[in-house]
Amino acid sequence: MSADTTAAISMVGIGKRFPGVHALKNVSIEIKPGEVVGLIGENGAGKSTLMKILSGVYQPDSGQILIAGEENRIESAADANHKGIGMVFQEQSLLPNLTIGENIYLGNERQFTKFGLVQWRALYDAAARQLEKVKVDIDPRMRADALSFAARQMVELAKALTLEEHAAGHLVILLDEPTSVLERAEIDILFNRVRALKSRASFVFVSHRLDEVLQLSDRVYVMKDGEVVAELAAADADVGMLHRLMVGRTQQADYYYEPLQMPVQDAILLEADQLACGAAYRNVSFKLRAGEVLGIAGVIGSGREELTRTLAGFAPHTAGTLKIASREVRLETPAEAVDLGIGYIPRERRVEGLVLFLSVSANITLADLASLTRFGLIDARKERGVATDWTARLKVRTPNINTLCLGLSGGNQQKVVLAKWLNAKARILVLDHPTRGLDVGAKEEVYELVRRLTGAGLSIVLTSDTLEETIGLSHSVLVMRDGEITHRADAARGAKPQQIDLIGHMV
Amino acid sequence: MAVKALRPEDIRKWLPLATLAVLILLVGIAQPSFLQPGTLIELASDTAVLFILATGVTFVIMLGGIDLSIQSMASLASVIVALTITRLGYGSFLLAIVIGAIAGFLSGIVHVRLKIPSFIATLAMGGVLFSAALVISKERSITLDETGRAYQAWITSQAFGLPNVIFIGLLVLAAAHVVQAHTRFGRYSAAIGAGEPAAYASGVKVGRQKIFAFVLSAAFAAVAGVVLAGRLASGSPTLAAELLLPSIAAVVVGGTAITGGVGSIWRTLVGALIISVVRIGMTFLGVNIFAQNIVFGAVLIGAVAITIDRTKIPIVK
Amino acid sequence: MVLVLLCLIIAVINHNFLSFGNFVRISQDAAIPLVLGLGETFIILMGSIDLSVEGILTLAAVILSMTVLNGLNDNNLGLLAVLLVLVVGGVVGFANGIVHVRLKVPSFMATLGSWFIGVGIANALLGGMAIRINDPLIRGLAIRRALGLPWGVWLALACLAVAFVIQNHTRLGRYIYALGGGEELAALSGISVSWVRIATFTLAGVFYAMGGVLAAAQLGLGNAQIGNGRLFTTVTAVVVGGTSLSGGEGGVLQTFVGVLIVSVLSNGMVLMGVPPSVQIGLQGLMIIGAVALSIDRKVRVVK
Repeated sequence: MSADTTAAISMVGIGKRFPGVHALKNVSIEIKPGEVVGLIGENGAGKSTLMKILSGVYQPDSGQILIAGEENRIESAADANHKGIGMVFQEQSLLPNLTIGENIYLGNERQFTKFGLVQWRALYDAAARQLEKVKVDIDPRMRADALSFAARQMVELAKALTLEEHAAGHLVILLDEPTSVLERAEIDILFNRVRALKSRASFVFVSHRLDEVLQLSDRVYVMKDGEVVAELAAADADVGMLHRLMVGRTQQADYYYEPLQMPVQDAILLEADQLACGAAYRNVSFKLRAGEVLGIAGVIGSGREELTRTLAGFAPHTAGTLKIASREVRLETPAEAVDLGIGYIPRERRVEGLVLFLSVSANITLADLASLTRFGLIDARKERGVATDWTARLKVRTPNINTLCLGLSGGNQQKVVLAKWLNAKARILVLDHPTRGLDVGAKEEVYELVRRLTGAGLSIVLTSDTLEETIGLSHSVLVMRDGEITHRADAARGAKPQQIDLIGHMV
Repeated sequence: MAVKALRPEDIRKWLPLATLAVLILLVGIAQPSFLQPGTLIELASDTAVLFILATGVTFVIMLGGIDLSIQSMASLASVIVALTITRLGYGSFLLAIVIGAIAGFLSGIVHVRLKIPSFIATLAMGGVLFSAALVISKERSITLDETGRAYQAWITSQAFGLPNVIFIGLLVLAAAHVVQAHTRFGRYSAAIGAGEPAAYASGVKVGRQKIFAFVLSAAFAAVAGVVLAGRLASGSPTLAAELLLPSIAAVVVGGTAITGGVGSIWRTLVGALIISVVRIGMTFLGVNIFAQNIVFGAVLIGAVAITIDRTKIPIVK
Repeated sequence: MVLVLLCLIIAVINHNFLSFGNFVRISQDAAIPLVLGLGETFIILMGSIDLSVEGILTLAAVILSMTVLNGLNDNNLGLLAVLLVLVVGGVVGFANGIVHVRLKVPSFMATLGSWFIGVGIANALLGGMAIRINDPLIRGLAIRRALGLPWGVWLALACLAVAFVIQNHTRLGRYIYALGGGEELAALSGISVSWVRIATFTLAGVFYAMGGVLAAAQLGLGNAQIGNGRLFTTVTAVVVGGTSLSGGEGGVLQTFVGVLIVSVLSNGMVLMGVPPSVQIGLQGLMIIGAVALSIDRKVRVVK
C-alpha cells in the first residue's frame, strides 16, 4: 500500500570477529517499514550476533548501519531504544519483582514524575493503553512473576511499542525466538497481534521453526557461516527449499579423520531409558557403547543442552532411568558423575573447565588427587611426573607445567581439560561444544584425539556447534527438537548422512 | 602477552613484603630504639596471637568467604580455659579447641546446607558465641589463680632466649602451611576460591571443603584465645573483641585476595607483621590508640581495592 | 502474623505486657532500630549489605554531642547540629558508595572499613570520655511526650513515613527494587546502576546518622561505645521482617514489623526474666532462622 520503500533500517557490509571465530562476513540486510522480515540459519550462522549488533549490545568491526537512510551508530541498548529499535528476547527480560506497569516504563518514568514523586495513576493508565495496543487484558498493577510466559511475552511486546512515543521515524522490533515457550494457541494470538501492528512497526522474526517463519514473514533472509546466502519472498519459498539453503556441501572425509573411525565395541557403558528432565526434554532413550561417539544434534530449545548437563551431573533427571555400567544411577552432582567415570568438557571452558589461576599441573590433577595423596599429603614429585607425562602425551604447548592456565591458548586449554579427565581414568567423556573458539589447527588436534581415544575404547557424547562436525565425528546421531528425539541416524565410516537429511528433523 | 599479564601479579606478589621492609625502616629511622633486638622480639610476641587468629580466617577467605565470628570464638575460648583450668589442667586447652571445631562446623553447616551467605552465618554465630561466653562467665572477667597459671607456663615462659609464643606461632605457621600447600584440602580450597564452577565440575565436593575451612578457622581462633588467656592470665567474653578488624586486615594486606584463590599463610604472616609494625610505630609516634582504628579501616579498604581481581566479579555486590 | 501471635503468647505469660507503660517502653526500644533498619533495608533491597551502621551512628552521636549545648564546650548549634550530623552521615554513606562503585570493592568490605573508620574517628575525638548533652530540644526527644509517646518515637515514625514515600513513590525507590530483582536487566533498561548504588548508600548514611541523634538523646550523652551491637539488631530486624538478602523483595513496612517483632521479643524476654546476655545468642539464632526460611534455595554458589 505505501509507496515508501526506503528501508527503515539497513545494515550494509557488516563484519564482526571474535577471538577464533569470524562471526559475520559482509552481511547486508534491509528492513522496510511495515514488514515482517524472517531471519533463519543454523547455530553459529550469525543470526544472534547480527541481532545483538542491531540492538546495541555489540559494535560491528566493519560496515554501516543506516537508519532511515542516514548513517548511524547504535552505541548501547538504551541508544537502540532511542533510535526506535525494540527487543523482545527469548529469555524473559521483565523484572519479576516489579509490576507490569513498572516494567513497561522502566527507565522512562520521568514523564510521570512530578516534584520527584511518581504519579502512579498516570503511569498505570498509560500502561493500560499500551497493553490495549496488543489487545491483552491484564491488570498493569499485577507483578510480572504472576503471569504466564505467553502473557509476559505480550507485555514485552507492549513495552517495545512504547518506543513509538519518543522515537522519530519507524519502529523496528526484534523478536528473538519468541515462540519457543508458547503453546499453539498462544502463538496464533502473538502472530495476529504482530500482523495487526505492522502499520506501526516493522519486525525481525528470528526463529528455528521454519514453518512459523514462513507463516508470519513477508521476506526471509537465510544465513550460513556468517553470510547471507539467500533472500526470498516468503510466498515463494517452502520449508524444504530453506533447508537446502541452510546447510552446506558435503564435508571432506579427511577433515574429521574419518578413516580413523574405528567400529564400535559391544560393551554398553551408558543406557538411558525414557529419560526426562522437567520440561526440557522427555522420552529420551539410547545406548552408548564403548568406543562410540554419539552425536546429539539440535537447535537451542531442542533439549540437547539440558540432556548434556544431565549426563555430566548438573541437572538430575526427573523421570526415566539412567544406567552406567548396568547400574541404575541418578547424578545429583558432578562429583557423582566423576566417581562413575564421566568427564565433562564444558562449553564455557574458562569458567567450568579450568581454574585459570591455577597451574597446568594443578588443573590436570584436580579430578584425581586421591591417587597422589599419601598420609594426607600430596606427593609433589609424583604430581610433577603425572603432569609432565600428560602434557607430553597430548602435546600441550606450555612454557612449563607450573604456568597458569590463564596464559595458554584456547586449544591448549582444551587439552588440559582433556588431560584432567584422562588422568582421572574417565570412561565416558561428555563433550559440550568442544571446538568452540578454537582455530583450525586446534580443531584438527581435537578430532585426532577423539579418534585415538575412542579407538582405545573410550566413549563420547558429543554436542557440537555445527551439524557438519556432529556428522563427521559421530558413529551415530540423535536428532532432537523441542525436547524429544525426532530421528536417529547411523554415521558409519564411509556412509555418512547428508546434513540435508537431518536438518528437517531439527527445525 | 603472557609477560604483560604477569606484571600486576608480580607486584601483588612482592608488594606486601616490600611494604613490611619499608615500614620497619621508616619506624626505625624515626625511633632507633625500635630496631633493638629486644623490641623486635617483643613485636614478634605481640604479633603471635594476631597471626594465629588471622591464619585461621585465611582458610575461609581463600575459599571466597569470610568469618566474622573469630573474635567471639577466641574470647569464648579464653573464658572456657579460665573456668576449667583448675579442674581439667591441660585438658582445658583441648576442650576449648574442640568446642572451637564444633562451632566452626556449625557455621559451615549453616553456610553450606542452609545456603546463608558466610558473613551473615558467621555474624550470627558470633552473636551466639558471644552470648555463650557472657552466660558462662556470668558477664565478668575471670582472672586465673596460681594453679591455673602454672598450667599456662608453656605459653608464658621462654626457651633459648625467646618467648615461647614465638615458637607457638611458628608451629602454627608450619602446620597451617602444610595444610594449605600440601594437602588435598589446601588444593581444593585454592581451586574453589579461584574458580568454584570449575572445581565443582571437576568433582570436588565443594560443600565438604567449605565446612572444613570454617572448622579450621574456629579451631585456630580457639588456639588464639588459649594463647591470649595465657598472656593475659585471664579470660573474658570481650578479651579478643578488638582483634577482628586487624585479623582480617592482616590477611588482606598480606595480599590474599578477598575474592579468594590467591594467597597463602606466608602472606598472612607478612600481613600480620605489617599490622603490628604499623601499630607499634603509631604508638611510638604518639598517635592516639583509638585513632589507630581509622588508619586500619583505611588500610583495609586500600588493600582490598589493590588486591581484588576485578575480572572475576562481573557484578560487585 | 508472627507479631500478633508473639504478642498474644507474651501477654498470656505476663500481663504487664499489655500495659500502656510497657507499650511505651517497647516503642522507645524500637525507635532507633527502626530508623537504622530503614537505611539498611534500602541497601539490602538492592542486593548489597551495609556494615557501617555502628560507625556512622557513633560518629553522628559524638559530633552531635560536641556541637549542641553540652558539658564540654561552649557550642550551641541546636537544630543546626542535627542538620550537620545528617550531612556527615550522608557524606560517609556517599563515600561508601563511591568506594564500592568506583573501586569495585564489595559492599561488605567497603562498609566494614567505614565501620571502623567511623568508630575510630569517634574514639580519636573522645578517647574513653563521654560528653553530656544539655540541649533541651535534644533531650526532649527522649523525655518530652506527645500523646503519651516520646518525641523521639514520633520522629522515628516520621522517618518511616519518609522512607515509605521514597520506596514507593520515587524513581529511586523503584530502581532499588529493579537492581535487586535483576541488575543486568535493569542496566539494559537504561538505569544507571552506579548512581542508584551511590545514592542509596548516601541515603542510608543519613538514616544511620538520624539513629545516632536518637541514640545520643536517649542516653543523654555521646560516647564512642554508643553504637556497639546495633548492627546485629538492625540486620536481625530487617531479615526477620521479611526483606530478602538477595534483594528485590521486602520493604520498609516489613522492616517495621521486623523491628517490632525483635523489640517485643526482647521485651518479652525481659518480662520473663531472660538475661540480656542470652538474648544476643537468641537473636543470632533468629537471624539464621529467618534467612534460612527466606533464602532462594536454587542459588548454588553462595559466598
